[in-house]
Amino acid sequence: MTTSFSQPDKRNPAGSGGSNRDAFLSRVAESLGRPRRTDPVQRPAWKHTVHLDTLADRTTEQLVEVLKEQCTFIHTQVIESTPALLQRTLDDLIAGFGGGPVIRSGDPRFAEYGLNFPGGSVWSPDASREDNVRRAEAANVALVFADYALAESGTVVLESRPDQGRALHFLPAHYIGVIQRDRIVPRSTQAAAALNRRHEAGEALGSCINLISGPSNSADIEMQLVVGVHGPLRATYVLI
Amino acid sequence: MKVSIFSTCLVDLMFPGVGRAMVEVLERLGCETDFPASQVCCGQPTYNSGYLEESKQAMINMMLAFEHSDYVVGPSGSCIAMFHEYPHVFAGDPQWEMKAIALKEKSYEFTQFIVRVLGVTDVGAKLEGSATYHRSCHMTRLLGEAETPFLLLENVDGLQLEPLKNSDNCCGFGGTFSVKMPRISEQMVDEKSACVAETGAEYLISADMGCLMNIGGRMSRTGKEIKVMHIAEVLNSRPAAVKGGIYA
Amino acid sequence: MSLKTDNRAFGVRTEDGIGDAFMRGAVGSAQDSLKTRRLTAATTLGDWERWRELGQQIRQHTLENLDYYLGQMADNVERRGGQVFFARTKEEASGYIRQVIENKNARKVVKSKSMVTEEIEMNHVLAEAGCEIIETDLGEYILQEDDWDPPSHIVAPALHKNRNQIRDVFADKLSYQGDETPEHLARFARKVLREKFLEAEIGITGCNFAVANLGAVNLVTNEGNGDLVAALPKTQIAVMGMERIVPTMEEMEVLDNLLCRSAVGQKLTSYITVMGPRAEGEVDGPEEFHLVIVDNGRSDILAGEFREALQCIRCGACLNVCPVYRHIGGHAYGSIYPGPIGAVITPLLGGYDDYKELPYASSLCGACTDVCPVKIPLHEQLILHRQNIVSQGRTGAADRIQMKAAGKFLSSPGLFGSTLRLAYSMTKLMSRHGRIVRGPGPIEGWIGIRDMPQPVKKRDGFRAWYENRERPDGAAAETEVADRTARTAGDLKTTEVGPKPGRDVSVEEASSRIGRGGDNA
Repeated sequence: MTTSFSQPDKRNPAGSGGSNRDAFLSRVAESLGRPRRTDPVQRPAWKHTVHLDTLADRTTEQLVEVLKEQCTFIHTQVIESTPALLQRTLDDLIAGFGGGPVIRSGDPRFAEYGLNFPGGSVWSPDASREDNVRRAEAANVALVFADYALAESGTVVLESRPDQGRALHFLPAHYIGVIQRDRIVPRSTQAAAALNRRHEAGEALGSCINLISGPSNSADIEMQLVVGVHGPLRATYVLI
Repeated sequence: MKVSIFSTCLVDLMFPGVGRAMVEVLERLGCETDFPASQVCCGQPTYNSGYLEESKQAMINMMLAFEHSDYVVGPSGSCIAMFHEYPHVFAGDPQWEMKAIALKEKSYEFTQFIVRVLGVTDVGAKLEGSATYHRSCHMTRLLGEAETPFLLLENVDGLQLEPLKNSDNCCGFGGTFSVKMPRISEQMVDEKSACVAETGAEYLISADMGCLMNIGGRMSRTGKEIKVMHIAEVLNSRPAAVKGGIYA
Repeated sequence: MSLKTDNRAFGVRTEDGIGDAFMRGAVGSAQDSLKTRRLTAATTLGDWERWRELGQQIRQHTLENLDYYLGQMADNVERRGGQVFFARTKEEASGYIRQVIENKNARKVVKSKSMVTEEIEMNHVLAEAGCEIIETDLGEYILQEDDWDPPSHIVAPALHKNRNQIRDVFADKLSYQGDETPEHLARFARKVLREKFLEAEIGITGCNFAVANLGAVNLVTNEGNGDLVAALPKTQIAVMGMERIVPTMEEMEVLDNLLCRSAVGQKLTSYITVMGPRAEGEVDGPEEFHLVIVDNGRSDILAGEFREALQCIRCGACLNVCPVYRHIGGHAYGSIYPGPIGAVITPLLGGYDDYKELPYASSLCGACTDVCPVKIPLHEQLILHRQNIVSQGRTGAADRIQMKAAGKFLSSPGLFGSTLRLAYSMTKLMSRHGRIVRGPGPIEGWIGIRDMPQPVKKRDGFRAWYENRERPDGAAAETEVADRTARTAGDLKTTEVGPKPGRDVSVEEASSRIGRGGDNA
């Protein structure tokens, strides 16, 4: 039995959903001492609601304070701006990082806020994969709008879309996430629940959901923190 | 209050003063003690080595020895924690499970009994000097008692407690571990000894003679000066002459 | 790399660890800092015990319904256009991965950190097939460049190396010319690896949790390498141990919170990603996506008394508090899974023939059990292993004889009574000045490095004292307890009327028995 699936089909190694799947899952069921379970399993009522309760009673203003404080621990600068000042805030930041090239997502909110970055590029499904990656790799600054922000962990949540690729968040040296105050939720619990709700309602989520909390870092050498490893060297949030 | 003394093998074999101190403190606090003579060992050495059947005999002997006791009090967080494990060992055993639960429910480590059952945190002890306290892992984590030794020591007149660095690290005793893995145990006790020595304390106190024998024995061997005391001995330390009502 | 990282005997490996002063210093200070960070993170969050119980419940529910959730996961991955392969053995798993790569005629592989790919010896199989595999986690990359030095920690694989050693590796293998500053070393690796990411044809990732109802793979990292692996190459292969699954993102979120806090004391790591095959219209991400679900012995664990070990979320917290790991380091375990969790699961995956010492490499102090965010009773599982090793007759004859004798002696009041009577005289020849100075086997291990008091004469023993002493006056004693209780309540004026004077002679009893001052050194 085992030999039959140790020699996968050379064309389509997994087969049609894997002829090995049934044997594998039956064995799991056998280990559990019962027949295969294929009817939908209901999640039990979890015995605690700590994840739902944590920070649940905070107002938006309080959450902004939580977010700002957390960002001091994760090497992330938070700048408070307004819709009117946003262009200037971003221009100043970009200049502070040594200027462009800039790449931004194709998020419609850039247009809504009347933002323009002359000479900058936009992640776009109209360009090839290679071109998008090349521009992101060449970029000094990436600009994105957060779908949600998580106060507790200082996190921006972003979904991949045709106009917002995965590599956009990781290849440029500097990363700027714009956070609208009304997108701030207490913690990861609310974002996960919202995304799961949308998924269960049949909405197609992006193929990749990123929870990004500050710049990339590593402590792999003598446990000493180095900020900026494979991803951005610096991360900045602009609150509007 | 009637208390059955559980002396533990180490006290029986090597540290009579610890048992004596425990009895004297308990009696001074108004307890009536007895000593069921058929008691031997909680079974931990064989149990922790994986010899389950061999251990069960020792455990059954203890359940029988203390069958008629109201309370069982012993000078070792580790041995009492072993008693607390009996219901797990005899789970589903029609003959012994209930007896195991009964023994667990009436068994207390010495300081735990004084504080949690007698409701006393000041036993009127006096000991001049500085001391550091080693928390035994079994008492702290398996028995779940981290507070009572400190509540009692804080009220020992003249005693100054020095904090111990890395106090949550095991001293390397671990019963048979110390003889089965002697080299690893040696590294652990060396680090513990260094932390103890670093406090500069005159006394090393603990509620488990296993740990004390390990740390104290290593410090003695390596020439580190410290006086080792079981907490029962500390709590039984009194002013040289009893002066009615003044030292309080 | 395979599960087994060292063919030498446990004792030899342990000595290696003990003799490695740098490693021990590094592990010690890493433990001290990670321990504090974990504790701070748990305390700041609050209600930690409830969080652990919730984590435990989620893991147990998922394991109890594992066949269902794996089936659901596979359906959803396929619905999204990915392919799923169920691998019963490590050979099947790495064979499949090799086949996928060969079908693409690909050679350039980047991968992010994954313990299960080590377990299935994937790198070895792919190297044999002529692939260039690049580990992109900084720690793993360092180890790879150092001729595949094994990892020594499940979260910080290169914990045992210092900056100078790393600089030398980079200088030797990659012509690095900079200094040993971690930041410079990391920047250098970034530059080298950026090229590798951009030219890679295949990306291989692990999987912190599979999200069953979404058909997605959750990765938790700080460096962002996992995300580049899943963004740039056109083919991605994700490999997961079959137990690493959750029903939905809601449970994933809880476990990620426990994982990040327990592993590194962060609220969330920098990058938490939930990913699958590239969706229609999107630009990057894998056009071809394979999920390999690995059993490799796990279903046997699931069936047996060690099921709780499968709750593990690989946070490494148990390594960070283990006093044994502290002194011998990760390599001494001889397994890619070191520390307490390694001592539990390595013998399950690799068998007692090779790993029967590991369950004994613990003083059973319980620190691991205490910190485990999903409440695996680690030290109890180590005892369970010991029971199995004994019942399978794998302990030495001497050990068996000693333990059987101990069992008899510890359960028999008569035998123990004789021992108390004879102990002093039996140990007389072994003792000097009240200390035992030589003795048979097990005692040797003790007295080799510690003083040990000689047993007392029966007439000096506790039992003799108890039988022969004068009983105290019960009435007076009652008065005293009232006095003590009052004292506790803060009323310090009560008169002291203790029935017996305290015995000053007992003050140094234990001390004088154990000895002090090294006069026996």
